[in-house]
Amino acid sequence: MSKEQKLSPVERIKTESNGLRGTLKESLQDEITGALREDDQSLIKLHGMYQQDDRDRREDRNDKKLEWLYSYMVRLRLPGGFMKPEQYEGLHHIAGEHSTGIIKITTRQTIQLHGIIKSHLKPTLKSFDSLHLDSIAACGDVNRNVICSAYPDQSALHHQISQYADKISLMTLPKTRAYYEIWLDEEPLIDKREDDPLYQDRYLPRKFKIAIAIPPNNDVDVFTNDIGLIAIVEDQQLKGFNISVGGGLGTTHGNDQTYPRLGTVIGFIDSEDKVLKAVYETITIQRDYGDRADRKLARLKYTIDRLGVEMFKKELEQRCGFALEEAQPFEFTERKDYYGWHQNHDGNWHYTLFVENGRIFDSEQAALKTALFEIALSRNANFRFTGNQNVILSDIAEANKKGVEKILRQYGLEEHTTNAGAVRKNAMACVALNTCPLALAEAQRYLPSLISKIEPILIKYNLQEEEISLRMTGCPNGCARPYAAEIGLVGTALGKYNLHIGGDRLGERLNTKFMDNLDEEQILQTLDGLFEIYSGEKNTNETFGDFSHRKWIANN
Amino acid sequence: MLAEGKLKQLTQLVENFSKEELIWVNGYLVGLSANGGVQPKISTNGTAKVSKISIVFGTETGNSKRLATLLATAAKKQGIQVKLIASDQYRTSDLEKEEFLFVVISTHGDGEPPASARAFYDYIHQSRSNLVHLKYGILALGDSSYPQYCKTGIEVDQQLEFLGGKRILSLQKCDVDYEEDAQQWIEQVLNIVGQNSDDILPGSSPSLKTKTKTGKKFYNGIIRKNINLNDRGSKKQTFHIEIDSDEMINYEVGDAMGIIPSNKKIMVDLILYYAGVDKDLIVETDKKTGTVEELLINHLNICYLLPSAIAKYATITQQEIPDTRIDLVDLLELYPLGDASQIKDVIKILSPIAPRLYSISSSPVAHGENEIHLTVSRHSFKVNEEQRFGLCSDFLGELPIGTALNFYIHKNRFFKLPDVKRDVIMIGPGTGIAPFRAFLAERDAIGAEGRNWLFFGDQHFTTDFLYQAELQNLNHTGVLSKISLAFSRDQPEKKYVQHKIVEEGHDLFDWIQNGASVYLCGTKDPNSVDIEKALLQVIRDHGQLSAAASKNYLAQLEQENRFVKDVY
Ligand code: SRM
Ligand SMILES: Cc1cc2nc3c(=O)[nH]c(=O)nc-3n(C[C@H](O)[C@H](O)[C@H](O)COP(=O)(O)OP(=O)(O)OC[C@H]3O[C@@H](n4cnc5c(N)ncnc54)[C@H](O)[C@@H]3O)c2cc1C
Ligand SMILES: Cc1cc2nc3c(=O)[nH]c(=O)nc-3n(C[C@H](O)[C@H](O)[C@H](O)COP(=O)(O)O)c2cc1C
Ligand code: SF4
Repeated sequence: MSKEQKLSPVERIKTESNGLRGTLKESLQDEITGALREDDQSLIKLHGMYQQDDRDRREDRNDKKLEWLYSYMVRLRLPGGFMKPEQYEGLHHIAGEHSTGIIKITTRQTIQLHGIIKSHLKPTLKSFDSLHLDSIAACGDVNRNVICSAYPDQSALHHQISQYADKISLMTLPKTRAYYEIWLDEEPLIDKREDDPLYQDRYLPRKFKIAIAIPPNNDVDVFTNDIGLIAIVEDQQLKGFNISVGGGLGTTHGNDQTYPRLGTVIGFIDSEDKVLKAVYETITIQRDYGDRADRKLARLKYTIDRLGVEMFKKELEQRCGFALEEAQPFEFTERKDYYGWHQNHDGNWHYTLFVENGRIFDSEQAALKTALFEIALSRNANFRFTGNQNVILSDIAEANKKGVEKILRQYGLEEHTTNAGAVRKNAMACVALNTCPLALAEAQRYLPSLISKIEPILIKYNLQEEEISLRMTGCPNGCARPYAAEIGLVGTALGKYNLHIGGDRLGERLNTKFMDNLDEEQILQTLDGLFEIYSGEKNTNETFGDFSHRKWIANN
Repeated sequence: MLAEGKLKQLTQLVENFSKEELIWVNGYLVGLSANGGVQPKISTNGTAKVSKISIVFGTETGNSKRLATLLATAAKKQGIQVKLIASDQYRTSDLEKEEFLFVVISTHGDGEPPASARAFYDYIHQSRSNLVHLKYGILALGDSSYPQYCKTGIEVDQQLEFLGGKRILSLQKCDVDYEEDAQQWIEQVLNIVGQNSDDILPGSSPSLKTKTKTGKKFYNGIIRKNINLNDRGSKKQTFHIEIDSDEMINYEVGDAMGIIPSNKKIMVDLILYYAGVDKDLIVETDKKTGTVEELLINHLNICYLLPSAIAKYATITQQEIPDTRIDLVDLLELYPLGDASQIKDVIKILSPIAPRLYSISSSPVAHGENEIHLTVSRHSFKVNEEQRFGLCSDFLGELPIGTALNFYIHKNRFFKLPDVKRDVIMIGPGTGIAPFRAFLAERDAIGAEGRNWLFFGDQHFTTDFLYQAELQNLNHTGVLSKISLAFSRDQPEKKYVQHKIVEEGHDLFDWIQNGASVYLCGTKDPNSVDIEKALLQVIRDHGQLSAAASKNYLAQLEQENRFVKDVY
């Protein structure tokens, strides 16, 4: 069998796509269907969109002789999760006009809108463009949205460090103008094909993710990324970054060649040029060595384990033309969002708002969407989305604090944030049903009610103040990073979850599968049992994650 | 018994007749007597010839036109000069000059003239003109299952007499199976105005006329499927209804189904409550006898009573009632009966429930001859701010699987597929798609090689794209060569099928020049009116024709049955 034949189908689609153009223009003109042509469904991802359908409605639509309810999810490219109030105001309107109306904060600090029908795609992207927002390379086999520790008060250097997110994002953008031609009606270039030294015409074998963390907070879960940059700060100076490679969580049920992996720190880099170069060349290595036959084994984590870390490091140093220095010491002491009001080094204020599973909409208890809109209108705060699906209203001048406070109170958001229990506030769930085509079970639609049933158990054992990290996904792909949590619930079928325990609270040790296919009743019973033992036997300050690792995982 | 002399005349007259001629004359004489004979004193006094006649037709679905044309052709054959003209083209001022006028006219709506005959109808009702010279005869088309059977024809007949015209043969009413009655009428006309009456109608040898009337055939069906095609969030409800029958259903694509709905039981209960009568009370109408409940549910119209009925009610109950149209329930509530016994008289003034027609959306070839499909939109309207639903469409929408339903086939001679080689353009917004689903299924089944182009439109792509999945398959297999869609409310500015037609003008005109047949189906208002305008514009723009010329172009297509409408 020749190499060609072994390539996964997606490879052909990319190389034959004429710079990601494919037949997208034609697909958009097919009036008879809300779907795209086969190949274009893969291509559109590299433009930041996914074709989906409302899975709740499939049967009903079949009976009605209607095709499935196809619509599109748009994911913004938003380096560092930063948005100006003007932009948020626009986003609010776009969500109302073209999507389900729910604004979804993702686990990678950006925004997704769902339920956009085909004829609304161009208007949506044009509106985003007028706000200087785009969705280029937010999905697909390229470098994704670069995330960065969201907390301005982490360090006076936060701004300087977060600049790296923008720089890396720009450096790794595909060079094709396809996005502008297809969605923004830019005049096509006459017979000049843009060449792209980084992605060539193959792009990457698989998605690629980069995160920048500022110790002591690992709010971005830096080790779950293909590349992690850990800022090394000494007496208010940014010395450089430790670089971690080969993080990734996606697995597949019943495929034991797949596994979650935390990144390996391979060294330290001081100057900006070198950092950018190292990032760039790490990507080229993955481009050249990554598996293009089996997409399930195509992520950098597998490439590195295949090559061996040392070998990989050598190759990188050779491509960079400089050696990596010894990794510098650093310490993460937490991985969380700091809810409520906090003041910056520069005297400005910010307020971190709890947004359950990142879904911004108006509920009876809290009119989140309206409140955020009014705050945007007031122009008194910037918006920073966190890797835990929350939002920070940031850079609020002393003089404007009262105004923001008033709106938060008026719509019940302060209670909403303070009253939410510790576990709820540190929990995450992925989108899953009804839009995610890969979902096997519910997640964001279900976790809130499950937590309401877990809370009494915690109270029973007086654990309600423990900030145990609980993360749920609708399938083993790991979008809410469940393997890097103290308690992970990974969907296997409707109403059924694998229970993982023993991960640490900081994202430095993965958890381990403890039990299979539990339904709600079994989940609650099991947790009740575990919590009882934990509350009885734990050492002082021993987290649930560390305890369960010691008790049930390590020596079994 | 004939007098000597007359018998002699007769034998002389017939001695050299052929056998066929004798049989025919026999039929003719029967016809004569059946129609009270020819008035002896008409100015032609038997022998003298009429040189010139006018034939006016008022039609909605083309039957009257067809019959009028038959008469015209036959008359011309006899050297009579014929002016054949549609009622909307007729200059009413000519009436006074007419000598011989024959009118073929149908009845529609609740006993109303066809839209195209409205002006003519109103004129003869309002005008004071004196028609002393006029000799006329009327052929009235209708359907005896409608309460106002052949009403328009009857009124025209009376009105012309009232204006001084002379009826030279008595009014002929025709039911849905009009062939035979119509032919006899035509022959009588020819006898009066013509000379000899051999070879009157192309291919109508006298023996034909001895075939007996078929009447209307009712089938008993069973509801097999009844689904609302519109998805959640739609403002519409469109029911796809599949009906089975043990008996083979005799229909063709393009035909419609006639259904006589039942009234809602709760409505009848209310009526009985207001009237204060027992549901088992036996009552009778000239057509039926039965319990009051049975008659009110299954036979008598209780909705939106005609002013005439309301007037009669006023007399029965001796009350002042403004002449309006309301439902019987409301009538009984607002103007109660003097006493319960009056119900017997009230029942008598109620007309039978009128049938409703629905384009058939299945093909006997594709779906089998024991199965038939409908595409019914739940008709809704407001009565002083209150949401109401149409009787029959609501009734059909609520029929559960397994219920029995009686129906008949309403033939449409004109809305038929062309030769398999011809291209077909189908314009069917909303439920207008129904016959085209049948057309496409049929053309697919018989493997017709002509191309098929469908124009469809509704409110929203995601919720109102009727039969989307089926059309997608037909599109993939190439049967549906082209589809053009307009969803009015998916963008800020409203967009309708007529806009799409103009957009596609170039190709559209191409197809037509290529010999394509154009079919238009759906509601008149909105839709068919604007769509016809759009077609004219396309012909004007792409055929580089004047407004007048493009009108003629379309008229020509209509003549050749290449532009056919079935609008309601
Ligand atoms: C929105 C989001 C979850 C959330 O609730 O926030 C999400 C949602 C989806 N992810 Fe994810 N992933 C999201 C973060 C993640 C993460 C966490 C992270 O990156 O920090 C992971 C695990 C880390 C990793 O990449 O290993 C993750 C691993 C996956 C995978 C498995 C990849 C693998 O290597 O096996 C898939 C499936 C795939 O790529 O084939 C996937 C695929 C998907 C898709 C696009 C399903 C699909 O391929 O059609 C989901 C869209 C659902 C929907 O309707 O919105 N998503 N996905 C997150 C968007 C992040 C962003 O803004 O870019
Ligand atoms: C040839 C042909 C083909 C057709 N094909 C189809 C088809 O395929 N699909 C389809 O859905 N329809 C079709 N129709 C239309 C269909 O026949 C009916 O006209 C339609 O369903 C409405 O009938 P209904 O009994 O539901 O409404 P009705 O009860 O007859 O009401 C009709 C109108 O009467 C008036 N009205 C009734 N009651 C009152 C009241 N109490 N107060 C005031 N006004 C009142 C309203 O203006 C209302 O709009 C077709 C019609 C024709 C002639
Ligand atoms: C919507 C509709 C309403 C009708 N209403 C009546 C009616 O009230 N009285 C009647 O005698 N016939 C009625 N008919 C039957 C028509 O008059 C009959 O079909 C006739 O053949 C049509 O002739 P045309 O094609 O020349 O219009 C109606 C037909 C339709 C389609
Ligand atoms: S984890 Fe699975 S179910 Fe959840 S969003 Fe990701 S792909 Fe979908």
